[in-house]
Amino acid sequence: MSKSYSRPHSLLLRSALIGSSLLCLAGCNDGSGDPKAQLGSNPVLPDQHEYLLPPMHIARVVGWRKDETPSVAQGLKIRAFATGLQHPRSLYTLPNGDVLVVESKAPKAATVKRPKEFVMKWIESWATSGGDTGTSNRITLLRDSKGNGVPDMHSVFLDHLNSPFGVVLVGNDLYVANTDAIVRYPYHEGDTKITEPGTTLTPLPGGPIDHHWTKSLTASPDGNLLYVGVGSNSNITENGMEAEHNRAAILEVDRTTGRFRIFASGLRNPNGLTFEPQSKALWAVVNERDELGPDLVPDYMTSVKDGAFYGWPYSYYGQHVDPRVKPQRDDLVAKAIPPDYALSSHVAPLGLVFNTGTSLPKSYAGGAFVGEHGSWNRQVLNGYKVIFVPFSDGKPSGIPQDVVTGFLDGNGHARGRPVGLALDKSGALLIADDVGNTVWRVTSGNQQVTQRQ
Amino acid sequence: MTSELANQPTLRPTAQIAKHPIHPMLVPIPIVCFIGALVTDIAYAVTAEMMYADFSAWFLLVGIVFGVLAAIAGLADFLGNRLIRQQTPAWPHLGGNLVVLVLAFFNNLVHTRDAWTSVMPTGLILSIVTVLILPVTGWLGWEMVYRHRVGVA
Repeated sequence: MSKSYSRPHSLLLRSALIGSSLLCLAGCNDGSGDPKAQLGSNPVLPDQHEYLLPPMHIARVVGWRKDETPSVAQGLKIRAFATGLQHPRSLYTLPNGDVLVVESKAPKAATVKRPKEFVMKWIESWATSGGDTGTSNRITLLRDSKGNGVPDMHSVFLDHLNSPFGVVLVGNDLYVANTDAIVRYPYHEGDTKITEPGTTLTPLPGGPIDHHWTKSLTASPDGNLLYVGVGSNSNITENGMEAEHNRAAILEVDRTTGRFRIFASGLRNPNGLTFEPQSKALWAVVNERDELGPDLVPDYMTSVKDGAFYGWPYSYYGQHVDPRVKPQRDDLVAKAIPPDYALSSHVAPLGLVFNTGTSLPKSYAGGAFVGEHGSWNRQVLNGYKVIFVPFSDGKPSGIPQDVVTGFLDGNGHARGRPVGLALDKSGALLIADDVGNTVWRVTSGNQQVTQRQ
Repeated sequence: MTSELANQPTLRPTAQIAKHPIHPMLVPIPIVCFIGALVTDIAYAVTAEMMYADFSAWFLLVGIVFGVLAAIAGLADFLGNRLIRQQTPAWPHLGGNLVVLVLAFFNNLVHTRDAWTSVMPTGLILSIVTVLILPVTGWLGWEMVYRHRVGVA
């Protein structure tokens, strides 16, 4: 390890540190290590480091200019599938090929509990300063009947939702995970709009605090059970443990009765719930805790085991205890298991899809695409891209490769930020870009070459 | 104004409203806030109930805001009147309270951390030290008023 992770001991050193972080909010080195050391099953975990002012750097949003697109790895090409959306966060492809774009905004914030929240709100506003994008909180249906990547139909499928995120269809039942409930709607193939009111299957932990509000949703392969990700209500319990009831967990919901149980817990903010096609195991990407340093704690993807506890809030990566949590629970720390695969720190993975299609180049077969929304809690930006993790026998089998980059421009400003991912019916990769207000479509580059020949 | 004051050997403060000096009107606010922050820090250390740590952060912020306002009024008196500057307790009173404000500022940053370490141990230690300085600077301040009759008409 060539990087040293020094911990300032004296107040003087700490004050010097504040001075420097105040002076270089936009790009000095805070001692951020190499993210490559934190990929895979055995990430380097440096010493914890607590700050007077934590390193903060969010890419300022500049948006996409006309004809600008993200860059893709060799053998791929990308173009906008839809633009002018209202903060698209997640995607779902219906069996007939119609694509649902979930456009969603954060729920109304709770009353401010302490002065820090004013500062945090201001910082978060940088990340979404892409201008007013309308009321959002709706689902738009896109139909590309020619399959050429240019939708010929654009319809508001469901409107006036409550910060929706996850969508899953089982038979003729379409489930939408709003931030406070799973709601069921009747759906028939070819529908372009749902007008019937939904039926609440089960309420979910929502406001008034609702810190991590995105509820990712998927169904078991047999369709009997739903799995919903419920993020924590704080960074690290600073809103009190009573606010964390049934949170930082994946809930397993009976599809007929709505009754749920905690399937796995200790997962700070689980998203991208999806079943790995080969092992049939449930996988998720998880956003780990902030403010312990630029390289703590690495976000991760993991298979989610029934009844398992993954540490939050008491510990991370097994038994690495977080000193900010009181009272501690030694019994829970002892049973905390490390996740399968680290993605490096603060990348904010929010989208996960396994490549079950055949139209992308063979090297992408069977692996996972991960959408990384991008960091704020380190000076050197991390994430802001879509990566590919190769899988074999249902397990990650190599280091991640960058697939879609260029969400940041040369000045470190954000043209867009990737969130949810899906495959369309043809097997192309769709990417929801919530500050670029675009859905991108990644296809094999060879097709075009063949056509030209 | 300076020449007028030089002719009159008076300890009249510069920052005043209708001959009521502003500085002593403001100083109770930061004093109470910093003592309050110590009390809620102790309550948090004992209970780990986040509500108390949240209270501490507000106390410190309000204490700093009014402390800075009191400091501005006090500095105006100090700089605006050579006779006040010549009072022996004036210098340590100023220096001590400057230390209080600097400590409270760092303490407020410590209190922006999340949960336990926003108070324990650094936050609580800073709150204790801050409050221990207050009776000393308070003593010096009242000495200027009651013994040297600064601001007493």
